[in-house]
Amino acid sequence: MPLLINRTVAEDNWLTVDKPTELPAGNILVPLEDYLEATEAFSAHSGKVAVEVTPDDDITPLLAEPNRFELIAIHFPDFSEGRGFSFARLLRRAGYTGQLRATGYVTRDRLGYMQRCGFNAFDIPDEHYQTDDVQAFDEITVHYQ
Amino acid sequence: MYQYTEKDQQLVNDRVEQYRDQTHRYLDKKIPEDDFRPLRLMNGLYIQRHAPMLRVAIPYGMLSSTQMRKLAHIARTYDKGYGHFTTRTNIQYNWPQLEDVPDILAELASVQMHAIQTSGNCIRNTTTDPLAGVTPDEIEDPRPWCEAIRQWSTLHPEFAYLPRKFKIAVTASPIDRAASQIHDIGVHLVKNSAGETGFEILVGGGLGRTPHLGQQIHPFLEKKHLLSYLEAILRVYNLLGRRDKKYMARIKILVNKIGIEAFKEKVEAEWQAIKNSDLELPNAEIERLQSHFQPHAYQARASEDLTLEAQLNTDPAFNTWYKKNTAEHKQPGYRVVYLSLKSFSRPAGDISDQQMEAIADLADQYSFGEIRATFNQNLVLADIEQKDLYALWKALVTLDLAKPNIGTLTDMIVCPGYDFCSLADASTLDIADQINARFDDLDYLYDLGDIHLNMSGCLNACGHHHTGHIGIMGVDNKGEFYYQIRLGGSASEEAKLGTALGRGYPADKIADILEAILNTYIENRLEGEPFIKTVDRIGIKPFKENANAITH
Repeated sequence: MPLLINRTVAEDNWLTVDKPTELPAGNILVPLEDYLEATEAFSAHSGKVAVEVTPDDDITPLLAEPNRFELIAIHFPDFSEGRGFSFARLLRRAGYTGQLRATGYVTRDRLGYMQRCGFNAFDIPDEHYQTDDVQAFDEITVHYQ
Repeated sequence: MYQYTEKDQQLVNDRVEQYRDQTHRYLDKKIPEDDFRPLRLMNGLYIQRHAPMLRVAIPYGMLSSTQMRKLAHIARTYDKGYGHFTTRTNIQYNWPQLEDVPDILAELASVQMHAIQTSGNCIRNTTTDPLAGVTPDEIEDPRPWCEAIRQWSTLHPEFAYLPRKFKIAVTASPIDRAASQIHDIGVHLVKNSAGETGFEILVGGGLGRTPHLGQQIHPFLEKKHLLSYLEAILRVYNLLGRRDKKYMARIKILVNKIGIEAFKEKVEAEWQAIKNSDLELPNAEIERLQSHFQPHAYQARASEDLTLEAQLNTDPAFNTWYKKNTAEHKQPGYRVVYLSLKSFSRPAGDISDQQMEAIADLADQYSFGEIRATFNQNLVLADIEQKDLYALWKALVTLDLAKPNIGTLTDMIVCPGYDFCSLADASTLDIADQINARFDDLDYLYDLGDIHLNMSGCLNACGHHHTGHIGIMGVDNKGEFYYQIRLGGSASEEAKLGTALGRGYPADKIADILEAILNTYIENRLEGEPFIKTVDRIGIKPFKENANAITH
């Protein structure tokens, strides 16, 4: 899973935990829904906790105080899903300054739009990754928005 | 008309190269079929029944003669020598090769054109009144606002993967010539009680399987807030619109499910957060856009010409064409001229490369080098001096573009149907031929008066059958084509949806059924009463009885 942060391949310092029953040590990325259900349990975790948003989530609770997270991930289940673009814009508008990471079906041809909506990290599946993907950010050099 | 800045040009150039790379990667199998689909659709490329189909954007229907010549060149070089004008005032090519599309886009970019967002689940080409800037009944020219919307919506990073396609129309006249009430958003320039100009905004119109007319979401929006308000609507829709079923995904479904008041509250809340952002249109930008749409250098004494009246008196065919195919211009001594693309010799909206070239020449000679496309699939030369009308008419007759049938029964909107479209259930072109063959007596058509007949080959309603005075929709019943008929629809300022007469009628009976419907009108109409008003007054029952008598 190559991870691009600010257009550079980077080490992933976060462990994704899909079913957070037993938490591993270190920094973890957990589903927003699980986090909201058991916020206190997670606050006892020794490492840092980040959340991953899926398209059906209500992100209102995140918008109140987004900077309590160093990382917020937004999941794209397929190529046609577009809510994550608005989530990203809303989070940045709410003042979020941390890492905003696109996860799931992240491919070259949406990287430019994702970056322009506020994403700065891209978790690209191996089977979609090419080393020249980073060129996608500059394919369109001028913007109206 | 609008001229690209360096930035505008750079954007379309970049987009051509981006798409060229995407096409190469697809052909090298580096992009899977399913992922390439939305990418090509966002550049107007469909895969149709026979071949790819490329849809080229004509922003708010405006074309220069140079652009028209380029469209002719593309038809000749990359297609089979013709194109098809659509109800979004775009043009479609039915036979390009997928491999050639990047080159076609490069050709388009060389004349300030593109195919960006002519398909896909994104904001489509904005349409407007084909008489914008020349009609005496408008409040102000709507085109600068269309251009503002074009720029804001083009490659908008947040709204490229909406639940479904999204269409916006802008009008500035109490007469709606842009079908604005059947758009996802209808923008109307209006005056308030203080005499200021602003926008009435409608939302949630659309046809398809579940047709709805737009509802008012804002009665009077200050001009500078246009883009922030549109962005608020789009953001709410992007977040809340259904994505599980294609047929439930248009904004009309969302608006009607939660109700216009609840929808409006959500939009207002979002709008408050962004209305004072850089989406606000500064006066300088509004003036810059308006400067591209200033009135032409009209001849002040054009109306002193005496030849027109003499020609009208001596040439009845010219007189008929003048009455049917021209319209009033706000400048004395000028007329607006409709070019009928509803000749009987080719499908509605189709145009050959030679016709395109000739129209470009006529536009240069007589109409300041500009051409417009209309949503009912005709073209307009908007600024013709009255002394030139006769010569123009003669040229149009030679080109088979002067059929004096604008606004009549045979000025049909017809989607390409089963012959081309892979979505269609039934053919439309043969039914249009059948209707044209039966109703070829112009005096009879004129006696019937204004009748809008709209036809679609399936329930997706690309041919706007819900808003035809007479609407025809093809259905497939176990491999046989049948046609449902609706009456009483309208896309005008008094827009409404038609009522179906019942289940489908067999293909070979459509002209007979129409004749029964038209006879019912003739028998029941009051003096001077148009077809649509008679349908309103007496209801569909007598029409239905007479239509059903044909098949029983």
